[in-house]
Formats: sequence, structure tokens, C-alpha cells
Amino acid sequence: MLAYLRASPALAAAFGPPSARALGQAMAGIARDAGGPAAEALARAAADASRRLRSAERFGAWLEIVERLAGLAPESLEALLERTERLLETLDSENLLAWALSGIRAAGGDPERRRLFFRFDDPVAGRWLARGGGSTPFSLLERRLKIYVTALWGQNLVVRAAGVTAGELPRRTSFDENFIRVPEVFPGVPDGQSAALFRAALAHAAAHLHFGGSRFPIGSLKPLQIALVSLIEDARVEQLAIDELPGLKRLWLPFHEAAAGGALTAPALLARLARALLDPTFVDGHAWVEKGREMFLAECARWADPAISRAIGSLLGNDLGQMRVQFNPRTHVVEPAYRDDNLGLWDFGDQAEATGEAETIIQSARIEQAQEREAPPPERERQDPAQAASHESPAPRRLKPEVVEDVGIPVAHYAEWDYLIGRARADWTTVLEFAGRTGEPAMIDRILERQARLVTRIETLIRSAKVSRPVRLRRQAEGDTLDLDACIAAEIDRRLGQAPDPGLYSVLIRRHRDLSSLVLLDISQSTGDEVPGAGASVLTLEREAATLIAHAMAKLGDNFALRAFCSDGRAAVGYHLIKDFAEPFDRRIFSRLAGLESRLSTRMGTALRHAGAELDGQRSHRRLLLIVTDGEPSDVDVGDHKYLVEDARHAVLELGHKGIDVFCVGLDSGGDNYLARIFGRRSVLQIDRIEHLPEKLPMLYLRLTA
Amino acid sequence: MTIDDYRIEREPYYRPQGDEIALFKAAYASRMPMMLKGPTGCGKTRFIEHMAWQLGRPLVTVACHEDMTASDLVGRFLLDATGTVWHDGPLTLAVRFGAICYLDEIVEARQDTTVVIHPLTDDRRILPLEKKGEVVEAHPDFALVISYNPGYQSVLKDLKESTKQRFGAIDFLYPEPDVEAEIVAHESGVAKDVAARLVAIGRRSRNLKGHGLDEGASTRMLIYAGRLIAQGVGIKAATKVALVLPITDDADVRDALDAAIAACV
Repeated sequence: MLAYLRASPALAAAFGPPSARALGQAMAGIARDAGGPAAEALARAAADASRRLRSAERFGAWLEIVERLAGLAPESLEALLERTERLLETLDSENLLAWALSGIRAAGGDPERRRLFFRFDDPVAGRWLARGGGSTPFSLLERRLKIYVTALWGQNLVVRAAGVTAGELPRRTSFDENFIRVPEVFPGVPDGQSAALFRAALAHAAAHLHFGGSRFPIGSLKPLQIALVSLIEDARVEQLAIDELPGLKRLWLPFHEAAAGGALTAPALLARLARALLDPTFVDGHAWVEKGREMFLAECARWADPAISRAIGSLLGNDLGQMRVQFNPRTHVVEPAYRDDNLGLWDFGDQAEATGEAETIIQSARIEQAQEREAPPPERERQDPAQAASHESPAPRRLKPEVVEDVGIPVAHYAEWDYLIGRARADWTTVLEFAGRTGEPAMIDRILERQARLVTRIETLIRSAKVSRPVRLRRQAEGDTLDLDACIAAEIDRRLGQAPDPGLYSVLIRRHRDLSSLVLLDISQSTGDEVPGAGASVLTLEREAATLIAHAMAKLGDNFALRAFCSDGRAAVGYHLIKDFAEPFDRRIFSRLAGLESRLSTRMGTALRHAGAELDGQRSHRRLLLIVTDGEPSDVDVGDHKYLVEDARHAVLELGHKGIDVFCVGLDSGGDNYLARIFGRRSVLQIDRIEHLPEKLPMLYLRLTA
Repeated sequence: MTIDDYRIEREPYYRPQGDEIALFKAAYASRMPMMLKGPTGCGKTRFIEHMAWQLGRPLVTVACHEDMTASDLVGRFLLDATGTVWHDGPLTLAVRFGAICYLDEIVEARQDTTVVIHPLTDDRRILPLEKKGEVVEAHPDFALVISYNPGYQSVLKDLKESTKQRFGAIDFLYPEPDVEAEIVAHESGVAKDVAARLVAIGRRSRNLKGHGLDEGASTRMLIYAGRLIAQGVGIKAATKVALVLPITDDADVRDALDAAIAACV
């Protein structure tokens, strides 16, 4: 009742007494359906709503929706009403209803899930909210925006939509050395301008990265000074950018809406200064704004130097401080909307509690980063639709390693060649198949993301490889065109009185790819060693290479399998199944690839025989076994190192007889001797710099199969 | 057609980017076979025309394609009323009369075709015409030049190692912005500042190489855009016609390019 009394006069003043009466009735109804606290929340929300909705009709529509929702989801109404301001910032009443109903539907009658949704504890809520706002969301424009920002300065930037942080959607762009994070949507922007705003935001962030220096140390600057230094820095990089690309000014200027006059609050003055610095025709008249502009323009010869931003910014900050205008760093949002949150400009060092703003900023940054680390981020680089679709469905959580996975199943015995006695020892080795330990599939997503440039390059190559080169067959008995050389030869024969060859035609045909490949990775203990200079282990690079080659093969539609091997004596040659021929290359494969670990030794011959036996079962014209290894064959129960080399050589020869091509990629720079001995000199590619493996392997594959 | 038809009468415009003219002259002096590398439309063909003119040699150009056979290069017997007559191919013509033979985009030809140039490119300098039973000694002025655009095809279409190692190479890149602007202005007839804008636009599209485009806009495309502008077309329309639409069919890339062009003007 008290709440009503507090709310109704303002409402009556704004929209007239009928609205106030309607509110009273609605409150009574809601108190009955959803309880007293919800009704009180409605009274508080009514004040926010009246500010946002600005007309009695729309306010009435809003009340109707609230009453309707009170019947559908009484337990969540309070949570919903508390977020009125934020919801109405993005949604009109129709979209609000649609958003709420979709949440209720998604919860499937479970009040607890409804509550999660309306409290924004369910990330879906934020995402749907962003979509429903009428402005075009980032995800729809993502690809063209990324291409745009790359075009501007040729930077290789990772742009992604920022996730919901602590239940709040970020309102400004944010960047650091690695990422530009863009809000999924800029609320309240008309549909037609969304693209321009996103472009403006990205161009601005890219300008920072292109023209900016190293981060400013935060030192003893006050929050207001930080805001001003950032603002000057914004103007500085924009001026440099406009110098190079004058059209950017047309892009940025319309978003500066600050007008001269009005209240002398810090945000208003900051926005006016921002405009004054960009727009020479803007007349402000306020002494401080004009002073800022003069100082900035006076330094135009030194714009290339980031130090001027700090100098001008701190001076202006002092002036503004003396004017005693209020500035609240916690609620301050940079204007205009395309500018970034300035986080990327500052080096906060270790002094987390230095200033209020730094603290808030750091906190939010931490949350963001924590999110990034957790679970696969929902906004990834765009991939092919199939993978994207599989990602939409709840990703398989990491399974606890089951006991079954660690126990290999004996599947086959193989003979081993003993060069000393010159014959094979029958049934000497045993292959144990492992179902593949699983890891975090996001690791593979990250590989594809990090290697985006290489992935696109491979995809381009694949497009041309897929349609195999046409081959002209000459001297055919029938065909599309006459074969000139054959015709002349036939005419000569005819004049000589001989019977001419009837093959006078030539045809153009395309041969189709018909091959099966098996990629066999060596995961012995030595692959756990760090590669000097690459900052990664051999296995990590093998995994990257396997990911890229598998990506290429999957795109080509080739029939392929992925396997890994390691051995622990002749009775236990481990053979890890990562991907079967029939399996699609999807997230299950990702998680198995991610789960690979370096262990044990390298009994290559047996692994080759087993892989060959698998390939032998494939019906295709060509069969290719591609093995990646980092060292000489060895095992714990063999002292004579020549023994396993000779055995592997024998295995390769056997496979050759079966018509299986074996090719080896050697990662050991000293491996010339034995690798050439095993595989033959022409079937070995030595990679001297292992860090190039991820690039080389797919290229090699394309070359071998072209 | 006689060899004189291959002479270049008027000086083709060429703006040197570095010391490539001196290098080429030195290579020609020792008759070293040369390879011109670089992306499409960066001036390789114009350079060789200019050099042929400077050196006063006829220039025989062969555009290679994958259906090309060795007889298309060296020649073949044709028939007339009385019997067969031998017709020299373009390569044989150049070898006999001392022209510069320029094999454009040689990777497009199949590898087994290109081996016919091997005896010409080492110290033998001969061209055996196996069908005719003749060995043609190369004229002292004969030189062989090929163009080779590594690009995206390089894994699938590449020269044999034994072919590659017979050539010296000059690498062509898109010229520096002010040089390129000068070229665009000269060739298209637009003012220098318009040409500079076009070059700025061209650089944006080259930034997209590997990010949606296989190759950025070449100098040639910029000249085309400039010619449209010289005809009175607006810069936006001209760039759309000459730079954006030909280069990609991808709606997202087009949109991004349009926006990037808007940022340049």
C-alpha cells in the first residue's frame, strides 16, 4: 500500500489518473496471484516503466503483460519486475511478452528453471534478450564485420561477441592485444543503423590497436583523469585514422549527439568534448570544452605520440575536478556508443585497489576472463554449419575417465621380422585397442580458431582440389572434339594408302577422388618433450597438425581414419582409435584428439601392420597410410635398435605389396638414416622445424592425393 | 606471320620499382633464362614488353593453359594439297630468329609439356624438333622468360623442381603506394589525388588476401577503376564496377569491401 502511495502521484502526473488507477488494480491482482513482494516490486517498476514508455497506452500494455505473466509464472514475477529498466531498454512491450513467453516455454513447467531464466542466471535469457531488441545482433553481421575490420589495416584480429557478464550484457566494445569483444547487440539502435554502429565500434578499436602505443600505466591518476586521458587517446587515434581513411569521419560523426548547453555533469561534458575534438564545426561555447579542443589541436603535429593523450588528459582532468562536477566511475559509460570501454588502454599493474574505477574495471575484466577460460565459449569463430549446429546442442561434458578406456582390448597378433635370422617370428606381437581417452573438445576449437588463417588457406586449396583437374584423353574413337594431331596422322596414312587409326577424337574427363587414408600418430613418451622455440610439446603440434589435416579431409569428403600408437613391450602395442572411417569429424572426435597423452615407446612395425590391415578393408582405388613420428622405433624389450628398424621396413614392404601407399613425416632432424631405410627415400618428408608441422601436413596430404 | 610482326614499335609505359631493369639487362646479357614472379596484375607482362622494346628484340608471348601440348609450342606438320608441311610453333619461331619468348602463367601448362624448354635453358641452347628430325640451334639473341604466380594453387600446380632450377627470378610485388598512384594516374588519366585514393582502396582489399579474398585488387584493376572515373563515373560506382564485383561473389565480403571503400573516400 505504501509502495502504491509512493508510486502513484508521479504516475498520475505523467500519464493522468487512469494510469494510476490501473496500476492500483494490477497491484491488487498481482498481490493475489504472486504475493505481496511482487506487488511492491510492481510499484517500484512502474516508476522505471513510466520513464521508459513515455505514453499512457504503452504503459497500459505493459501492465497487461505483467498481469498475464503473474498468472503464468508467479514465482518469477518479482525477479522480472526488478529488471524492468533493463528489459525495457532493449524491448518494446510486444517483444517483452515474446521474450518472457519463450523463457516460460523453455522452462517446460519447471518453476526453478523459470526463476533462473528471469534472474538472468540462465545465459539464454541474455542472449534472447539481445536478439529480441529489434536491433540486428552481432552474430548476424559477424562475418562481414570481421572482413571489414581486417580490410582497414590488415590486422589479424579475433573479433567475438562478448558474453553476458554477471547477468549484465556489456554495453561497450572492449579490446586487448588478442581480442576485440563486441556487445551482442547495442540496445535501442534502429535496425538500419546497427551495422554502421558495429562498424564504427570495430574501426575505433582497430584504430586503437593500429595507432596506439603500449598501455598507459595507471600510476596515481584519479578516475576522472583516467576517463579524460582515454577520451583524448580516443580522439587522437581517430584523427590519425581519419588522416589515412577520411571516410571514417563520416562513419563516426553521426554517433556524436552531444549538444551544447544543458546540465554541467561530467558525462555530459565528456561527451561534448568528445564531439568537439572530432567535429571542427561543433560550437560548444563552454570554456572547458573549448580549452580541451585548443590544447588538442595545438598538439596536432605530435598526434603520433600517445604521450600527449596522457598530458592533455590529466590537465583537463584537474580543471574538471576543480569545477566540482560529479563523476561516478562505477556508473560511467563511455559515450558515444561506438567507443570502447577503454580497458585496453590501461596497465593496471598490481595495484588493484588503486582507484574505484580500476577496481570495477578489473573485476569485470576478471569475470570476463574467467568466463573465457570456463567451458567452450559460445561465440566461436564461424565454422561450417554442421559443426556450428552440433555446437548449439549441449556440448558433451567432460566425462570422468572410465575404467574401460584405460584397458586395451587385444585385437590381433602380428608376426615380427627378425633380420638376424632372416625370417618372421609368427604371432610375436599383440595389439591392444584403446577406445581413446577423452579430453576437452574446446581445445580443438581453439586450435581451429588460432590457425584461422591456415584453415582458410587450406579451404581455398580444397575448393580447387575437390574438382579434380580435367584430363584430356587423346586418340579416342569418340569424343567432343577432333584431335588435330591424330587427324593429320590419319590423313597422312590415308594418302599413303594405309588404313588410318580410327581414334580421331579427344575428350575431357574429370577423375573423381577415390581414396581412403589413415593418419597414424606416434604418441610415445618422447612426444611429450618441448620443442625448443615453439613453446609446445611435439604432441601438441601433432595434435594441431592432425586437427588441420582432418579438417581438410573432412571438407574434401575423403574417407579417413585417425589413429595413434605407443607400445609397452611386444605384448602390449597400444593402438588408440581416434576416428573411424565411418565416423563424422565432430565434437566426439575433438574430445578424443584432445585426450591424447604422450606415453611409452615406439614399436612402429606392428602399428603399421595393424593400420595396414584396417586400410586393406577399405574399398577404394587408392589407400594411403600417413604416419607422423618423432623418433627411431624402440621398445622396452628390445636392445638391438636395428631390429625394430628392419621390422618396420619389412612391414612397409608388405603394405606395398598390398597396394597401400605409406608415407612418413619425420620430426627428428637426425632421422635421415633410419627413416629412409624404413620407408624409402621418396616416401619420407623430414620436417626440420617441427613448429611448421601443422602447416605442412595438410599441404602434404593435398599434394599426395592431388 | 613473320618475326617482325612481334616487334614492339612504341615504348610501353613502365615505372621501375627498384633495380629490376638493370637486373634483367644483366641477365639478358648472359642469356640467362628468367622467371618473373608475382601476383596477377602487378606489371609482369608490361615489364617484359618494356624490356623487349629497350633491348630491341621481338617478343613472342604464349599464354599457357592446361590443354597445351608440346606441339603447340614447338610446331607440327600440317597438310596441304601436295603433302605435309611443317609449321613452326611460337617457341621455335623465337628460337630461330632470336626473339624473347615469354611463357605467361607457365604453371597452367602441364608439367610434361614444360620439359620441352629444358634443352633451351641450359648451356646447350638447342631445341630438338623430334617429329621433324631437326635440332634448332638457338639464335644468339634468343632468351626465354616465364611468368610464375605462386599464389594459392602452388600445392596443386607447381613447376617441376628441375624446371624451377633453370631460371633466375625477379620478384614483383604491388608497388609502393606513391609509385602505384603514379602508375594509376599515368595509365588511367585521373588526377594524382584520385589515384592515391584508389591505391588506398586497393590496399584495403589486399588486406583481405586469405580472409575472404584469394587475391587483392591488382594495379590493373585500379587502373580500370581510374579509367571509369576519367570517363566521368563517380568513384563509388567505379570502384564497385572495377574492384568489388569482379573480385568476389560473396555477399559478406562485398558488403565489407563497400564499407572499407566508404572509409577511404
